[in-house]
Amino acid sequence: DGSGTGRKRKSRWADDEPKPLIQLPDFMKDFAGGIEFDPEVQALNSRLLEISRKLQSGLPLDDRPEGARSPSPEPIYDNMGVRINTREYRAREKLNRERQEIISQIIKKNPAFKPPADYRPPKLQK
Amino acid sequence: IALQRFMLQPGALATKVLCLTQVVSVDELNDDDDYQDILEDMRVECGKFGALLNVVIPRPNPSGEPTPGLGKVFLEYADVESSSRARQGLNGRKFGGNEVIAVFYPENKFSEGEYEA
Repeated sequence: DGSGTGRKRKSRWADDEPKPLIQLPDFMKDFAGGIEFDPEVQALNSRLLEISRKLQSGLPLDDRPEGARSPSPEPIYDNMGVRINTREYRAREKLNRERQEIISQIIKKNPAFKPPADYRPPKLQK
Repeated sequence: IALQRFMLQPGALATKVLCLTQVVSVDELNDDDDYQDILEDMRVECGKFGALLNVVIPRPNPSGEPTPGLGKVFLEYADVESSSRARQGLNGRKFGGNEVIAVFYPENKFSEGEYEA
């Protein structure tokens, strides 16, 4: 309403907060408006959840049928003669590496991201 | 567990700059009187939460080019305590019928005059 310069007009702010009935907890608001909206970060987050679920599910990680597998590397045995690099072990290592990599990427995009306790930042080495 | 961890994370880090989204319409910003009114409303109301240093409301470009941050209002406070209080107090409030969403905005971007994100 451009009706002159009357300074007595009402503020556009609604009278003191008739708070919405369901107040979202604080972290949900950040969730709704924050960096999590970035589609790239969302994709990384969902992949991270997927991997974490797989690792914790206890299900076989490498369920490719025999014919679809590529050749295994030479077996490695520990002192007791038990094979270390089993198919399962290698699949788990692979997922773990991808997981660490994803966490690194999320941190790069969102420095406020608190990585899980078992995350180790990549060592800077040659 | 991963999901829980994810949900428990604190949100984006608090900064001294607050960004209110979905606040003002292009029409209002085009009208000089309305614009001044809005500016005044912001100064008065948002100044209640602490020392408000600066209010920036991007306006439409006369040439018709898109303006970064159009529809948003940026509030710069003297300290994080004030901006945090303001965020708490303003988030979810209505301004001219629009429900305000208040989020922290990176200080470096603000000081460089970048308002797009």
